[in-house]
Amino acid sequence: MDLWQLLLTLALAGSSDAFSGSEDSSKEPKFTKCRSPERETFSCHWTDAVHRGSKSLGPIQLFYTRRNIQEWTQEWKECPDYVSAGENSCYFNSSFTSIWIPYCIKLTSNGGTVDEKCFSVDEIVQPDPPIALNWTLLNVSLTGIHADIQVRWEAPPNADIQKGWMVLEYELQYKEVNETQWKMMDPILSTSVPVYSLKVDKEYEVRVRSKQRNSGNYGEFSEVLYVTLPQMNQFTCEEDFYFPWLLIIIFGIFGLTVMLFVFLFSKQQRIKMLILPPVPVPKIKGIDPDLLKEGKLEEVNTILAIHDSYKPEFHSDDSWVEFIELDIDEPDEKNEGSDTDRLLSSDHQKSHSNLGVKDGDSGRTSCYEPDILETDFNANDIHEGASEVAQPQRLKGETDLLCLDQKNQNKSPYHDACPATQQPSVIQAEKNKPQPLPTDGAESTHQAAHIQLSNPSSLANIDFYAQVSDITPAGSVVLSPGQKNKAGMSQCDMHLEMVSLCQENFIMDNAYFCEADAKKCIPVAPHIKVESHIEPSFNQEDIYITTESLTTTAGRPGTTEHIPGSEMPVPDYTSIHLVQSPQGLILNATALPLPDKEFLSSCGYVSTDQLNKIMP
Amino acid sequence: MNIKGSPWKGFLLLLLVSNLLLCQNVAPLPVCPGGAARCQVTLRDLFDRAVVLSHYIHNLSSEMFSEFDKRYTHGRGFITRTINSCHTSSLPTPEDKEQAQQINQKDFLSLIVSILRSWNEPLYHLVTEVRGMQEAPEAILSKAVEIEEQTKRLLEGMELIVSQVHPETKENEIYPVWSGLPSLQMADEESRLSAYYNLLHCLRRDSHKIDNYLKLLKCRIIHNNNC
Repeated sequence: MDLWQLLLTLALAGSSDAFSGSEDSSKEPKFTKCRSPERETFSCHWTDAVHRGSKSLGPIQLFYTRRNIQEWTQEWKECPDYVSAGENSCYFNSSFTSIWIPYCIKLTSNGGTVDEKCFSVDEIVQPDPPIALNWTLLNVSLTGIHADIQVRWEAPPNADIQKGWMVLEYELQYKEVNETQWKMMDPILSTSVPVYSLKVDKEYEVRVRSKQRNSGNYGEFSEVLYVTLPQMNQFTCEEDFYFPWLLIIIFGIFGLTVMLFVFLFSKQQRIKMLILPPVPVPKIKGIDPDLLKEGKLEEVNTILAIHDSYKPEFHSDDSWVEFIELDIDEPDEKNEGSDTDRLLSSDHQKSHSNLGVKDGDSGRTSCYEPDILETDFNANDIHEGASEVAQPQRLKGETDLLCLDQKNQNKSPYHDACPATQQPSVIQAEKNKPQPLPTDGAESTHQAAHIQLSNPSSLANIDFYAQVSDITPAGSVVLSPGQKNKAGMSQCDMHLEMVSLCQENFIMDNAYFCEADAKKCIPVAPHIKVESHIEPSFNQEDIYITTESLTTTAGRPGTTEHIPGSEMPVPDYTSIHLVQSPQGLILNATALPLPDKEFLSSCGYVSTDQLNKIMP
Repeated sequence: MNIKGSPWKGFLLLLLVSNLLLCQNVAPLPVCPGGAARCQVTLRDLFDRAVVLSHYIHNLSSEMFSEFDKRYTHGRGFITRTINSCHTSSLPTPEDKEQAQQINQKDFLSLIVSILRSWNEPLYHLVTEVRGMQEAPEAILSKAVEIEEQTKRLLEGMELIVSQVHPETKENEIYPVWSGLPSLQMADEESRLSAYYNLLHCLRRDSHKIDNYLKLLKCRIIHNNNC
């Protein structure tokens, strides 16, 4: 039993020893760190031994040796100071410290070397952290977002910098407060360094550590320096802030100019019209202005004759000129009568030849007078600027009214009634459009014209010169025909005109027509209505009215159909009592017998008294 | 011809490279006509340039040693095995700050000059031997060449400083002599490596001493202990 207990105890002891041995081996004291902060002293630290092992092994000792000159002395000296550097440490003061002499230390426990280490002091230099960190603001960026600061510190106090014993270099690290990674700067030899581009609204941490130059390791970091950059209001720089009036004005003007130009370019045409209104140029529908400039009158006249709107006004700017023109070459014209006749009526052939316009139409070749007269009036229109507007309808049939058409020999009721005398009245400017006429009407007109032609002698009654008695407001000339007996003519014309009046296209203006004609055309033939028809005829411009024509009717007997060649003495001049442009002329019935009502139906001449009777 | 020509070419190439390297890092010494005793450069500038040179030499030495150790002898315990005695150990160089503060200025300067002089020959042989190695490590060789060049220039600068600070100092040609050449040429690789290791280790230490001493002197002489 005792042997068993002894064996068991021994076994336990052995196992415990084995366990303790392993533990001890794993927990042997080892040098952890040897450090010299200022290169004048150094200290070494080791791990503490386990209690179990320490008791068994004995106290730990540190021995050191210095390799002196050419000797590797194996004389180990024990640590001079186990206390100053703390527990498990050995402190070597300056007297024991040599810089360029290597040291070897060993750790012993119970006589057995536990650990050994050799080094030189320069290798273990680890300076203390710098002290007295502070920062100053260098500048702030113009945007106020970033700023630069200068960080200053002092060398660790135990490092002898003044004598040059130690030369330190520093490393600065900084980061934002909520960041995890430190930003490192390059080593610096001086004790101040600028830090650039820190954000103004963030808080930063700065720390510095030092190291001996060329040897040793970095020491511990200094205390953290908190950098809070002052938030500067960006708009508080009152000194340099000024409202850029000049810039605003310049840019405003520039912008307005650009807009103005854009506007001008977009409305170029309209503005051009406003600034430079187009000068009215005489235009003839369908006429090429260039052709006119060339001066080929014959061609132009041909073209004009073809076209509906015929206005060879370019030839004569004066409508009166045509009336005065003489064509001595044609004997017919001379036979026809005095100049007055020509002037008044219509020897349009002459003018036709003068103008050089060849009328290809059969019914118009010889009946050019109305054309000319019409053209005159057209010229007036043109001059007034109304070229194509409200052109009086041209009645083709009417063109023959006053001309002597030799072709048509057909008789009409009006045939006898149309003496050779020509009607001094002139049909006003009419558009050069062929007006469809009733066949009988056209024929009648032709016939009338023919009759007129056939009796040129009647025209002789007209003096060569006619006095212009008056000018209507419309511009037409009122001539005094003198001795001319217009009765027949008037009658003839009346008929013709009446026929023409029947046409819808009858020109409302400048049409001098007889009441009788109007009566025939209009199914209802009240005097008033005739008057109304007549009146509009006077409305037109350029009505060519002769007092003689006006008065002739008064003196005429009531016969409508026939007017013999007898002539009725008509006063040369009849004063116009009243000119009511839209309503017609009211003549003074001086020596005129009052026509009866029949008269009214016979002719369009209306005297004042007649008018008074007629008009309500 | 080829055997003769190639070393010359290599030498010229080395010179060119070294010149380029020098131009990179080192500020030129003051231009003094033909080594005249008196130069117009101020003592402050002389010290500044000396410190720069010494610092540069120490950097090169440290790098060379690190490369050598990493390449040949790392982890092989050479530091404990080697005798680690330098030929300049006989010089009474201050080993800590108190000793450095106690030594006078004149002795201090002459001491520095002696160390610099004593390293002329070892550096020369180092370059020759490294270049002659089978696999000449280019990094070590270039640094060795550079260190040799710069050490000569530093010596010249120091002599100028001495002539300015202590003109009456006689030229003391006593300096420790290096006798480690046979060890560099030993057949045993282990012994050879140990010799190289020791040489480079000593070079690093002495360059560090020189750098430290010059900084101390600069602060003492120029800035009056208030660097």
